[in-house]
Amino acid sequence: MRRFRASLLILPAAALIFLFIVLPYVTVLVMSFRAPGANGEPYGPGFGLQGYAQFFDEGYYLWSLPQSLLLGIVTTFVCLVLAYPIALHIAGARRRWRGLLYGIVLSPLLIGIVIRSYGWTILLGNSGVINSTLRDLGLIQRPLPLMYNDFGVVLALSHVFLPFMVLPLLSALQSMDPAVKQAARSLGARPFTIFRRVTFPVSMPGVQTGCILVFVLAISSYVTPALVGGMRVKTTTLLVVDALIDQFQWPFGSAMALILAVSAGVIVLIFARLTAMKWN
Amino acid sequence: MRIGALFLGLFRLLVYTFLLAPLVIVVLASLNAGNFLTFPPQGLSLRWFWTFLENDVFIDAIVYSSILAAGATAVSLVIGTMAALYFVRHAKREAEIVRIGVLLPLILPEILTAIALLFFFYEIGIGTEYKIALFTGHVLMTLPFVFLNVTTSLQGRDDSIELAARTLGASRYTAFRRITLPLIAPGMATGGVFAFIISFDTFGISFILKGSGSAPLPIQLYDYLRFNFTPEAAAVSTVSIILTLVLVTLADLLFSRNSKA
Amino acid sequence: MTEVSLRSLVKRYGKTEALKGISLNVRHGEFVSLLGPSGCGKSTTLKCIAGFEETSDGQILFDDRDISRKLPEDRDIGMVFQSYALFPHMTVAQNLAFGLEMRRLQKREITERVGRAMEMVQLTPYAERYPKALSGGQQQRVALARALVIEPKILLLDEPLANLDAKLRDEMRGFIRDLQKRVGITTIYVTHDQGEAMTMSDRVVVMFDGEIAQAAAPEDVYDKPASERVARFVGNANILELPVRTNDEAGVELGLPGGLSLTIQRPVPAANGTLGVMARPEQIALTDPAAGHLRGRISKRYFSGGHVEYHVETDLGPLVVLAPTSQSAKEGESVGLDFDASRLWPLPGRTGSAESRA
Ligand SMILES: Nc1ncnc2c1ncn2[C@@H]1O[C@H](COP(=O)(O)OP(=O)(O)OP(=O)(O)O)[C@@H](O)[C@H]1O
Ligand SMILES: [Mg+2]
Repeated sequence: MRRFRASLLILPAAALIFLFIVLPYVTVLVMSFRAPGANGEPYGPGFGLQGYAQFFDEGYYLWSLPQSLLLGIVTTFVCLVLAYPIALHIAGARRRWRGLLYGIVLSPLLIGIVIRSYGWTILLGNSGVINSTLRDLGLIQRPLPLMYNDFGVVLALSHVFLPFMVLPLLSALQSMDPAVKQAARSLGARPFTIFRRVTFPVSMPGVQTGCILVFVLAISSYVTPALVGGMRVKTTTLLVVDALIDQFQWPFGSAMALILAVSAGVIVLIFARLTAMKWN
Repeated sequence: MRIGALFLGLFRLLVYTFLLAPLVIVVLASLNAGNFLTFPPQGLSLRWFWTFLENDVFIDAIVYSSILAAGATAVSLVIGTMAALYFVRHAKREAEIVRIGVLLPLILPEILTAIALLFFFYEIGIGTEYKIALFTGHVLMTLPFVFLNVTTSLQGRDDSIELAARTLGASRYTAFRRITLPLIAPGMATGGVFAFIISFDTFGISFILKGSGSAPLPIQLYDYLRFNFTPEAAAVSTVSIILTLVLVTLADLLFSRNSKA
Repeated sequence: MTEVSLRSLVKRYGKTEALKGISLNVRHGEFVSLLGPSGCGKSTTLKCIAGFEETSDGQILFDDRDISRKLPEDRDIGMVFQSYALFPHMTVAQNLAFGLEMRRLQKREITERVGRAMEMVQLTPYAERYPKALSGGQQQRVALARALVIEPKILLLDEPLANLDAKLRDEMRGFIRDLQKRVGITTIYVTHDQGEAMTMSDRVVVMFDGEIAQAAAPEDVYDKPASERVARFVGNANILELPVRTNDEAGVELGLPGGLSLTIQRPVPAANGTLGVMARPEQIALTDPAAGHLRGRISKRYFSGGHVEYHVETDLGPLVVLAPTSQSAKEGESVGLDFDASRLWPLPGRTGSAESRA
């Protein structure tokens, strides 16, 4: 009786997730195996592998995949390098400061992704803040190509997803017993050695979570590459949305989305295997 | 050693600047008196805020987004709090499944979830009609934030306090109202604010599922930004940033008062 | 030879003075306990010695050389933390090897010394385990071995047994004590458990409010406490305030109710008026109501296995008596109390006389 009453608590959430996450994803899977539609129909009768075939046949689509994955990997790495010192700083900061620093880190999360990407276009554009400043200082003649290329997209993506790297790192660092570092010190380790041999390995679960999160978010992001890349950086996600919404080719778009998801999954698995921690 | 520390400090400062720069620049751009988003600005003025106030499209979008966010937050608060209570109080072996399940909308790529929902609603014959798909999507996107915050506020507290209340003569309902609810109230407040902001800002779901007719603010902004370069979008963004700040501050005040009590 | 020497050590945190001038000499191979209530500054003292806290004033000397400004990693200390602070991502063997690697020893020597250390704490079968897969007692021994394997000059332990259950704690007491004697390492041990301090140490340092109240052998701290506060903190104490009848070279005669008297056969300087004396509960014997120095009525009786604790109401106030179980009295019974005059200890603080620290 008690169990039954308790299970009523989880029922709405379970129903919501099953109906509107699990079933829809199954629908995508099914859709990817449908035949393409004719005369403006999103899909036709019957099933087939045409959606997948189209992806592998056309280099335009096929090549977007390794490029997107690479973009995701680079973004993840940049995020890790930027986030680690910040996480260390916040973990060691006095209580009074911690709230403020935390707020700065979370601020991008609380401001919509459109606005953030927009901010980057103002900064990076040809007549944007950075280029104008440099030109006024006489340092450059022609504007530097900061936007509408991979550089701008990686920079903006790193900004957008930095909080997702900082937060897991921070929680890993904060759950670490401070005496562990002192112990290493008392055994004769210098600060950099402590970082290399103790702090960083112990924070590995946070590194893992942060990297996986940022990677998945980065390769599946739409707005940032669209605005900052100006449709000139063709990520697979952009092509998926294009196929589905503009070209109305649902089986093809679904197949492409699934191929992206599976490739990302494989990379995540390889990463998890490489960074597996026996001790945890 | 000292040079290393200096370098590290400088690097940190750069990262903090990097984090804040796009937001600060948007606010500054909105004060530009010129006709285009140029830099340096051609004088300061609030003219773009007035333009924005006279532009029904953006006003409508803000109202529409607020209603959508309020509705999604209300539903998420109920469902997410119940799930959090179950997770902390009753879940045993299935705890990890429950946690990952509720967090799925956060873990899965938003754009893919949006597409999946689109197909699903077409399959069952509703499509993007009546904004049902859009609303469902927003509830999904906000649910993890309520769940996470309420779970945190309950963590480390077993159910012995409620049992204690029961031994003191409180009914199950009274124990919930007088003991559990005050405990999770801060978590619900923070979770609610988070949910509202996330719904207000979320893009992928709205972009794919918006259907015809009026659209949420991020979509209007995005459409506008693709073809216009006036500082009006910056003014709209600034208003949105200020709204968020006000909400967060309110929640913070509420939260700190609650935790002091 | 003095191994560690603290000279007027002061530590301030902002306005609060955690240490108000601590002076202490620890001899080579000595086992010294810092004992005191929570917040008295034990951990702070240890952290200063280890170098994790900078001292505000005073000096710390190792072998007569001032090391106050040395970094912790250069001080050559072994430290055992209350939380053990094992490296979670390293096996037992790797944990032990860490300090030796920092000293850039040869691989072969490291393996050898780690092997010996594991034998010493009986952990050889667990060499390849991660800390998570060890019991509390085993983790404790890893922490101990990790601190000792680098053969430090000094071993510092901060409440190392606080997280263990009672039985294991008793076992580990003996284990640590034996190991320390075998290795012969100078040891400073922080605890707030007086039993632990008494059984393990060569010398107990009792601290209150950032100051040393007494530093003496366990027996002396127990039998000859330097103040009423020490007397009450270390074990159970009956304190009697008695009028001084006579005081000369032969000793002090103290008056008791009913015209009886007690004579301490030892001169107590400047004791006149009244004198405070301490009697431990087991130093008072129950007798016939007619006999003994003092009469009283038993108000409470607590059986505790080997002994019975009696609370006795007397004309001098309530007293606590510990008697063997063979001698039994009931609650409400009238009894006589017999003091062992040779072990009564005059408390310096109670007379205003000069200090007589043991
Ligand atoms: N980092 C600090 N900042 C401010 N005050 C501190 C700090 N560390 C310790 N103190 C203060 O210094 C005093 C001594 O603390 P310490 O930790 O040495 O006590 P302790 O004797 O080890 O107590 P316990 O048995 O509880 O561990 C306490 O009053 C404490 O509040
Ligand atoms: Mg302490």
